[in-house]
Amino acid sequence: MMTTTCSRRKFLGAMGAAAGAWLARPMMSMARAVPAGRVAVGVCHEYDADVTGTLARMFDQLGGLEGLVRGKTVAVKLNLTGDATDRLGYFPAEITHWVHPQVIGATVQLLGQAGAARIRLLESPMSTAEPLEEFMLQANWEPRDFSSAAPQVEFENTNYLGYGRKYSRLWVPDGGLMFKGYDLNHSYEDCDVFVSLAKLKEHVTAGVTLSMKNCFGITPCTIYGDGSPVDEPSLTPRGGRGPFHEGNRLPSKSAPPPVNNALASKDPGYRVPRVVADLVSVRPVHLAVIDGIHSMAGGEGPWCDNVRHVQPGLLVAGTNCVATDAVCTALMGFDPMADRGTAPFETCDSTLRLAEQLGVGTRDLSQIEVVGTPIAKARFNFRRA
Amino acid sequence: MIVDRNWVPMKWPCGPLEIARRKKSGSTDADLKDTLEAWVRPSALEWLKGTPINCLIVEWADGRPEDSAQQQALKPLLEAGHKLGISFVGKLALKESAGAAVSAALAAGLSAVICEDASAQPSDLPAIQQFPRDKAEWERASTVFSATENVWPGLNLETMHGDTALAGPTGIPWVNSNAWFSMLARELAPGKTLWLDFDPPAASNLLHPAAYALAVADSYAYGSRWIISLDDKLRAALPKGNSQAQGVWKTLCEAVGFFESHRQWQAFKSQGILAIISDFRGDNAYLGGEVLNLLNRRQVQFRIIERARSLPALEGLKAILWLDHDTPSADQRAQLLAFVRQGGLVIAAAYWGSPDVTPAEKDPSLQYRLYNVGKGQIAVADDGFQDPYQVAVDTHLLVSRRNDLVRLYNPEATNCRSSGESVSPHKGRRLVQVLNYSSEPAASVALWVNDGMQSARFWQFGAAEARNLQGRPAAPGTEFDLPPVSVYCALEFEGTKL
Repeated sequence: MMTTTCSRRKFLGAMGAAAGAWLARPMMSMARAVPAGRVAVGVCHEYDADVTGTLARMFDQLGGLEGLVRGKTVAVKLNLTGDATDRLGYFPAEITHWVHPQVIGATVQLLGQAGAARIRLLESPMSTAEPLEEFMLQANWEPRDFSSAAPQVEFENTNYLGYGRKYSRLWVPDGGLMFKGYDLNHSYEDCDVFVSLAKLKEHVTAGVTLSMKNCFGITPCTIYGDGSPVDEPSLTPRGGRGPFHEGNRLPSKSAPPPVNNALASKDPGYRVPRVVADLVSVRPVHLAVIDGIHSMAGGEGPWCDNVRHVQPGLLVAGTNCVATDAVCTALMGFDPMADRGTAPFETCDSTLRLAEQLGVGTRDLSQIEVVGTPIAKARFNFRRA
Repeated sequence: MIVDRNWVPMKWPCGPLEIARRKKSGSTDADLKDTLEAWVRPSALEWLKGTPINCLIVEWADGRPEDSAQQQALKPLLEAGHKLGISFVGKLALKESAGAAVSAALAAGLSAVICEDASAQPSDLPAIQQFPRDKAEWERASTVFSATENVWPGLNLETMHGDTALAGPTGIPWVNSNAWFSMLARELAPGKTLWLDFDPPAASNLLHPAAYALAVADSYAYGSRWIISLDDKLRAALPKGNSQAQGVWKTLCEAVGFFESHRQWQAFKSQGILAIISDFRGDNAYLGGEVLNLLNRRQVQFRIIERARSLPALEGLKAILWLDHDTPSADQRAQLLAFVRQGGLVIAAAYWGSPDVTPAEKDPSLQYRLYNVGKGQIAVADDGFQDPYQVAVDTHLLVSRRNDLVRLYNPEATNCRSSGESVSPHKGRRLVQVLNYSSEPAASVALWVNDGMQSARFWQFGAAEARNLQGRPAAPGTEFDLPPVSVYCALEFEGTKL
């Protein structure tokens, strides 16, 4: 197994962000300065031609994509949770809980225009090893829309070994909060730039689903799923990520072990945020893009109780996933500094705080430069919608 | 006299023979005996007035001493029934010559007999052959034939039976359905009518009305008929004026009436760009049946081709699943290879193409070797066809969802069938029937069809007229938001391109 050499510091330098503040060995301390980066907020009321223009403007506000992606392999983790046929009422998935194809297409197009050598669209569809294109077709999406948006666009289902010969082993700096390391599909290591393309929505277990929680889905269920074998990964994924949620069993023994006391808590509100913080630490997010044009409130998918369609009319992008998610959390009407017991983290620990403690980025709005539409003008209160 | 294919059959258990049978099986009590005595009276026929049910199947002879008493007891019922235009079919459960029983049947005015044992079939009275469905003798099947050992359609709430999983690995609700067998019968016994024989499950309370309506729909929507069979509780409650029982009866009759008023739909042919070829016999029967069942559950629309016959023209097909391990005959092989060269896909358990073709690079998600031949491909399973579930999943993916004809969103326990009828070389009528296998209405189900038709005639049980249902474009087809589906609905498209 290989160890990641992916460097967050290198990327931040390229982006002109506060790379110097980031240290190779992050400390579990709030005292240490953590990366902030810049976060762009754009208003966009519908999925139309304005999406590309708005995103282009936002990426320019972040300093432009070219320095980041020219000549590089860019991996884009999509947010396509649940089954392709699950819907909230009659709303297509992309109107409520999936990132919209218009946003994906626009991002791919802009990455291509900025010179990306190769763009890989990645997701781990629920309980299947089927090609990602087939999963999209089931939702009545047209994968060709993406492959024609830029040169050299590829798709990979990362819920299993996929096209890799072996899983990539990425160790969590400083030991990890839940696991010492994670075995992932090769695509998360075989890339120069990693983009998390997520939806602006709440999450029943983690409070919010944004660019960081989207990365929960980079883990293959052949190892971390309910049906993964005890010793070695299965060939195809079976079930969801119950072991992460409930701690009712360990991943396949071939994967890195849990940290001490990781099994002590069976509380998903304790476990899931820590797994997510680990993951964004081992697999740094270079660009976070959040689709909040249409979404849902009350949970992450139609299977949650009391969920409803909402239309915040927002796009958000940033070069630091913690900062970007902090701005999104504020845009949703919550305090990004909140923690367990306070909305949206009533029953869970804050992933923002945990990732901040790992040195991934800051959630302190006073340290984040917000460009484009100010938060106060763009705020859409999810609990009152 | 011949068997009328338009008969709407119903089991009418009653009289001394049925009582004796129940006594022997230990499944009788005073209430049931009263019921069996009540239903032999002509007054019981009142329930049939105004319903489409016009053929009653009565126990006639099974070699017991009660045979004669049974035939005597039935006389008044038969006479009253004949006046109402009802035909009677006598069930023969005899191992030996049925001469006396048949003579008695002729004298009593029975229209036909139904029997499993071929040696008991009379020559002077029409016979409806009945056989267990895994022992179907398609060639010998009578014009109207019947199959037993079917399932009661509906959601299977049990997920495990011993060590055997009854649910798919993805957690899709497992439903019991006879649909695949009805479709198979249409192909292997073309031009004949299948009556499905199955009884309601034993229950402590009256079954939900939807359960009976579904039993009707799961049969009719796929081209067969259910021999209506009421459970003991319902038959006991009906004569007592139980309003709940009357509601169940009304729902059942409404469902039958609906399909009888759309009898022309029975002639529509299954649509599909995928053909499944097998002999569906012997060692191939299990795999064939299960694959049909599981592909149907995935809403994959397919056509069935019997392997033994010379292959029909393959126009309109994009893929063929050659299910059997036996290789095609020389003629079939030539036809299949021509199909592949022109761009078709053949999925098989073993490679029988030209030996000089080497497999192309594999898709890691599929355990198949892909041989490029001309413009098309032969996909050969690495380990043959072992697991019917995997065969169905892989077939769907190899054919690609790009070629789906229909899809359901929020499907839960619903399923659908697309069929059509050509009215001109390029235009036709298309019918998509949606069935809900749960007792709860299916809410927020959306149906996608690969058709540009923006509206459909929407049918539901109980509605004498169709109403217009508007779709919305969902390229390359159209999506229809279905109103809550309690059991069944149908969308009819005129002028569609078939």
